[in-house]
Amino acid sequence: MIMKHALVTGGSRGIGRAISIKLVSLGYHVLVNYKSNEEEAKQTLTMIKQAGGSGELMKFDVTIPRQVDEAISKWSEVHKDGYIEVLVNNAGIRKDILLMWMEDHHWRDVIDTNLNGFFYVTRALLKNMLVNKYGRIVNIVSLSGLKGLPGQVNYSAAKAAVIGATKALAQEIGKKNVTVNAVAPGFIRTDMTKDLNENELKSLIPLNRFGLPEEVAEVVCFLASEKASYITGEVISVNGGLYT
Amino acid sequence: MNREDITKIINGFLVEEFEIEEGKIAPDAHLKNDLGLESLDFVDIAVIVQKEFGLTLKGEEMTSIRTLDHLYDYIQNCISKK
Repeated sequence: MIMKHALVTGGSRGIGRAISIKLVSLGYHVLVNYKSNEEEAKQTLTMIKQAGGSGELMKFDVTIPRQVDEAISKWSEVHKDGYIEVLVNNAGIRKDILLMWMEDHHWRDVIDTNLNGFFYVTRALLKNMLVNKYGRIVNIVSLSGLKGLPGQVNYSAAKAAVIGATKALAQEIGKKNVTVNAVAPGFIRTDMTKDLNENELKSLIPLNRFGLPEEVAEVVCFLASEKASYITGEVISVNGGLYT
Repeated sequence: MNREDITKIINGFLVEEFEIEEGKIAPDAHLKNDLGLESLDFVDIAVIVQKEFGLTLKGEEMTSIRTLDHLYDYIQNCISKK
């Protein structure tokens, strides 16, 4: 049986970890990308194996194109018969601050990871998806990119940009049977939201609670599967009804 | 690699990969209007050119290619610069 490969950027923790583990159920060998937190990335790998799957770690910083290209080229040289047919662009950071106090690095770092990272990694993998006439790209965006959230002008801008890119790329490459979709989580219980007060915020959410990473992973894996063969350019919210 | 080899490889690829009727393939055939190729299809052409001729084509340069003859010229030119 031919091994199928999927790459999850920022796969060491939170939503990325849940997606990496869930992709096992689709029969994928999962490449778990991480930048610096090797311990957590190894933990994700252990959990993939516990789920009966296989995977490997792939260290690179999504904001550095040379690192991205080198990591992918190195992998491709070893796997001449295979290609990465599923890409989940999940790596993301937040640096919340009011715009009037926002310094260049707050803006640049968030745009670099959330937007430029999407570009560098997708570009590196796209050719093989096109040539093989099969691919699934799922971008993890955010409620913030759909609605805009105060204190997150940088993050909202980056995520809204990825939503635009999702729609444009979907039209660009649909003919080659490569789909591009986005999943927009609301408040999800992860390290990224641990500074938020769930008790205060849950009253705003129709389902009256924060979501779980696994609930996002379910939707991502559906879009990454062959079952989602006629869906492209779509943004699916997973936010408990907070904003539709 | 001479012009004839280039022509043979490219034409064979177009017939096989894109199922273009052989009768439509002529040097002055317009890639888009006559053969129905889109810019995205150049990805496949770039891959076969890399495989067969060892050339890495630049997408930006390829977008200015209009006819099959231009494509043969372009590849021949790249080979001679190698």
